[in-house]
Amino acid sequence: MAGGVGVDLENLWIRFGDFVAVRDANVNINGGDFFSFLGPSGCGKTTILRAISGFLQPSEGRVLIGGNDMAGIGPNKRPTALIFQNLALFPLMKIWENITFSMEVKGASSAERRKRADELLEMIALEGQGDKLPSELSGGQKQRVAIARALCAEPDVLLLDEPLSALDLKLRQHMRTELREIQQRVGITFIYITHDQGEALTMSDNVAVMRAGVIEQIGTGHDVYDLPATPFVASFVGENNVFRGRILEVNGTEALIRTNRSGDLLAQITPAARGVLKPGDEAMMFIRPEALSLVDDAGAHEKTSLTAKVVNEEFEGNSYSVFLEGDGGKRIKMSLPNVGQDRIASKGEDLTLKYELRNAVVMPAGELAAE
Amino acid sequence: MRSNILLSRIALGLYLVIFFTYLLGPLVIMSMTAFNSNPFPTIIPWDCFSFEWFQVLANDERILRAILNSVIIGLGTVVLSVAMGLAASLILTQIWPRWRSTYYTIIIAPILIPGVVLGISTVVFWDRLSRILGPATDGLFHNGIFLTILGQSTFIASYTMLVFVARLQRYDPGLTEAALDLGATHVQAFRKILLPFMRPAIASAAVLAFLASFENYNTTTFTFGRYPTLTIELAQKVRYGINPSISALAFIIVSLTVFGALATEAWRRGRIKAEAERNGEAVAQGRSILPGFLRGNWAAGALVLFSFVVITLFWTARVYSPDQCKAEVRAAKQAEAAKRREELLRRRAQQRMQQQMKGPDIFTPSGKPAPAEGASTGKPAGGKVPFGSVFDPGNLEGQSGTGAAPDQGSNAAPAAKPSPFGSVFDPGNLANQAGAGADGESGEAPSEKADENGGEKPAPPFGSVFDPGNLKGVGGGAGEGN
Amino acid sequence: MGKTVASKAEKLSISTLLISIIPIVIIVLVLFDTLVSDGFSAASSLIVGLIILWVAVICGVLATELFSDFFRTNGRLLGSVMLGLVAFWIIVLILLPQLSMLDYSFRYNLPPSEQGGPKDVYTLANYRHLIYGAGGGEGTYNTVDLMVFLRTIIAAMAVTVADLILCYPLAYYLGQSRGSGFVRLLVVLLIIPYWINEILRAFALKIVFADGGILNAAMMKLGLIDQPIDFIRADVALYAGLGYAYILLMLFPMYNAIESLDRNQIEAARDMGASWIRIHRRIVIPHAKPGITSGMTMVFMLSAGALAAPQILGGPSSLWFTQLVYQWFNGSLNWQQGAAYAIVLLVASITIVLTFMKIFKVNMGDIGK
Ligand SMILES: Nc1ncnc2c1ncn2[C@@H]1O[C@H](COP(=O)(O)OP(=O)(O)OP(=O)(O)O)[C@@H](O)[C@H]1O
Ligand SMILES: [Mg+2]
Repeated sequence: MAGGVGVDLENLWIRFGDFVAVRDANVNINGGDFFSFLGPSGCGKTTILRAISGFLQPSEGRVLIGGNDMAGIGPNKRPTALIFQNLALFPLMKIWENITFSMEVKGASSAERRKRADELLEMIALEGQGDKLPSELSGGQKQRVAIARALCAEPDVLLLDEPLSALDLKLRQHMRTELREIQQRVGITFIYITHDQGEALTMSDNVAVMRAGVIEQIGTGHDVYDLPATPFVASFVGENNVFRGRILEVNGTEALIRTNRSGDLLAQITPAARGVLKPGDEAMMFIRPEALSLVDDAGAHEKTSLTAKVVNEEFEGNSYSVFLEGDGGKRIKMSLPNVGQDRIASKGEDLTLKYELRNAVVMPAGELAAE
Repeated sequence: MRSNILLSRIALGLYLVIFFTYLLGPLVIMSMTAFNSNPFPTIIPWDCFSFEWFQVLANDERILRAILNSVIIGLGTVVLSVAMGLAASLILTQIWPRWRSTYYTIIIAPILIPGVVLGISTVVFWDRLSRILGPATDGLFHNGIFLTILGQSTFIASYTMLVFVARLQRYDPGLTEAALDLGATHVQAFRKILLPFMRPAIASAAVLAFLASFENYNTTTFTFGRYPTLTIELAQKVRYGINPSISALAFIIVSLTVFGALATEAWRRGRIKAEAERNGEAVAQGRSILPGFLRGNWAAGALVLFSFVVITLFWTARVYSPDQCKAEVRAAKQAEAAKRREELLRRRAQQRMQQQMKGPDIFTPSGKPAPAEGASTGKPAGGKVPFGSVFDPGNLEGQSGTGAAPDQGSNAAPAAKPSPFGSVFDPGNLANQAGAGADGESGEAPSEKADENGGEKPAPPFGSVFDPGNLKGVGGGAGEGN
Repeated sequence: MGKTVASKAEKLSISTLLISIIPIVIIVLVLFDTLVSDGFSAASSLIVGLIILWVAVICGVLATELFSDFFRTNGRLLGSVMLGLVAFWIIVLILLPQLSMLDYSFRYNLPPSEQGGPKDVYTLANYRHLIYGAGGGEGTYNTVDLMVFLRTIIAAMAVTVADLILCYPLAYYLGQSRGSGFVRLLVVLLIIPYWINEILRAFALKIVFADGGILNAAMMKLGLIDQPIDFIRADVALYAGLGYAYILLMLFPMYNAIESLDRNQIEAARDMGASWIRIHRRIVIPHAKPGITSGMTMVFMLSAGALAAPQILGGPSSLWFTQLVYQWFNGSLNWQQGAAYAIVLLVASITIVLTFMKIFKVNMGDIGK
């Protein structure tokens, strides 16, 4: 177990008839990693997972687990265990039978299975509940049973398909930490699917962001959040303010953009677009709400500050959100920590905001995530 | 407004009564006739409470063998049609959407194909195949059990398929995938996951298939060969003469069905109640002397009551003897017959006098033509004047036969008051009685006799009493039989 | 089977091939037999050609589209067993028997020695017999059989309509007053006769309607009539028996359909002041249409194809068409003629059902639901 087994997708294509569900995916997942696929509903996450676990044959390309090509190997022969989107606990079997099903099919004795079930039940904090039926458990308990069942098969790779989506917020947050702990304890590779970016960022070593069958970016949570490779990633992961415009000059890793509405602004070029972006190109620049701040004196660099009219202000407990008139009807959002101010600004007031150069990224224009 | 509601309630009640009388009345009456010693299955007149027809049934070799055949065929059909239905339903859930409706149409079609067509096509096809494949297959492909199982399974599999489809709609195919993912082989996943889930459906499909096979007639009547099923034997008996031993069998079958239905319902209610209790719903825990499973479960109550009645009935059968009663009835009927004979003689004398007074005209046939098939056969010889037949020696023989053999006389007695054969004036009756007396068959309605002779019924007794067609009596009806 | 991902030739296992070979072998044998029996008559080679084309298309489609994915989801062994069972059912039990019956209906009834001989050629004689009678002559028609045919169809329709009218109120009542113990009792009472042998049900009616039967006896005792009424000859018994035999097949689909109707819809309509007739016409009946059609289809097909009830309860002058089929088959041992009559019955009743389905815009998928 320890050390972990890596998973590689090479030029993976999956088609359903004429429909392309996964387009040329190339991913290298290190052994022992907690790796997430993040993307909106219907982007092909489950499809990739089913290809890894063997329920789907790739139309093109390869799936390698531990360096071995998995072509023609059925799901029951692969060293993977899948936790289904709807858990798929066997409704007619008791909890302990569910958990040890993988031993039953290998012909383990009832006593052995009982023993192993008790160990796993203890691990998931459900001691003494082994004789219940799945219908008699709560959602979170079922969740844990599904994890125990998968772990009982001693897989090299655990695949989790949005296992937390059915839970309420509190439980979800609790299970996140629990999952991460389990992963660190057993040390096997986890491949995790979610459309919740918070989940992906908190738990994963690496994240792949997908859109409509295409993997747009792979990287650590930080990379993905701070240096998004495409407008889609920038707008899908976390909140972001977009400024459209044209490149005026490129200066090493920096670029000056003439934005449609907010004047000329300076930003760093995202690593993926360095050397690609040229003056005159259509571009999009992103600045996170929390990276914007009020200009306290007039000494701010004019190329990293902008002025806009306040539309609205919301108090959110730990912070204030200020909305200002932005590009193309969109609003610019600024988050400021609540440090005891009464209010930030009044409606209709013109406000000048500034940002640090390293917090602004620019990239070729592209499609944004749907809101 | 109020009276309107009342009126509609009465109408509804009346309608329900009529509907259920139509549905259940004949079955109740049929069951009751099993206990009447009267050799014609009826409850009016009620002769004696008796179990003799069960005795007759128990000694009927053919029926017993037919039951065995039915069971063998039923089991074969259950196995084949459950297997095919299950496979077909599984494929239906997986088949390419474009093909689904075509496929569904094909596998549902046997339900709509008339049973006779299925029977014929099965026989024809396997006969054909055996001729192609040579004499080695001859025995099997013409074997009644083999053909019947195949013929019945053709459409019974559609029924089982429907049962399985209904159940599969609630199956999550993810469960099978989960099992595979955990290392199970396909067969293991099928056996340990899908099959347990389908078990209730398989049980009900099996029962359904067995019952459908057991009661099938239309298909089986072409395929049974040398292995008649119970239904076939019953049909033969019913077509060629009814007697209460069929009622006895019917009583047993009705009882079993009632028992099964009540047991299923009781079980169902018990389960619903248990579920309600498990879900923590407040169940009225009133004190009751009834055991737990009866409480709030009318079906269980009815089941117990029904079993009690049946057991009592059969216990009675062991100690009760109807001989005394039968002797009385026989005596009464003899007396009645004697009285009737006197009356008849008296009226004949009267007729003769009337005839002498008024001339023969009024007794000539009423001008109504005899029905075509009646005319084709059994015409009274030589265009005799109808009433002349009362002087027919045959009739007199019949009469004297009735007198001479008391047993037979009592068999013919239903003809007496209240006479199902109609007026004593009807010469046809006399002929019938003569027949009954002559061949000593237990007294069947004349129509049944005619059936035996070729499926043709005698002319209607309710037609003109002087209709010559009536005269053909037993001898009539040699027309085209079926 | 699902969406095909990649169909690879290697996925066609040996068992798959075996399964697709079975029908081909059978067809080839039939073809061989046909060739031996009458050489190349145009009709026979056309039929055989069509059959082979059909099998080829089916097998090709199955092989390319279905099998590779199918075996992946179900496994080789299980997949083969399932496909084998369904192929056996569809091909050997459903299609081939119907086809060979069709084939039979176009042949002469020859003694075994002449079968396959020069006289064994295709003919329309068996169908001509239904229309023109034994002589096959000009100008005369087989009025007896044609009348039987017409009467069967019309009477079956009448029985269907009668059952519909009789059942609709009960189906509505049961469907809309759900849950109560009384309704369950009624349902149990309905199920009991449903499972009692068709023959016994006919027998029960015969007891009731016979000359010496209870109805006549009772009416005479009450003085309503003084002669027994021959219900059998008047066909009262037959129609009552046919209606009786299949009434529950009308009731249950309708009941199921009406049960799924949301009560609030009726109440809403009533609030809006709709009359009862309008509520039924606009809400209940449209909702129950699949159930009604399903019930009507079943009752019509089963009545038109009924054999037991006519044999037991039918009057002497009124044969049912199935009885003619039976007669040809079991009485005269003329299977070819029987097959032709059976085909006529099958085609006629299916045509009628499909026509009505088209008129009332219901599709096949609703049947059996
Ligand atoms: N068996 C199939 N046949 C046809 N199309 C399919 C099939 N399975 C998935 N798809 C399509 O492929 C696309 C990706 O599906 P997938 O289940 O991978 O989405 P997902 O990213 O898991 O979405 P979600 O977050 O909602 O679970 C969808 O557009 C879906 O309609
Ligand atoms: Mg998904």
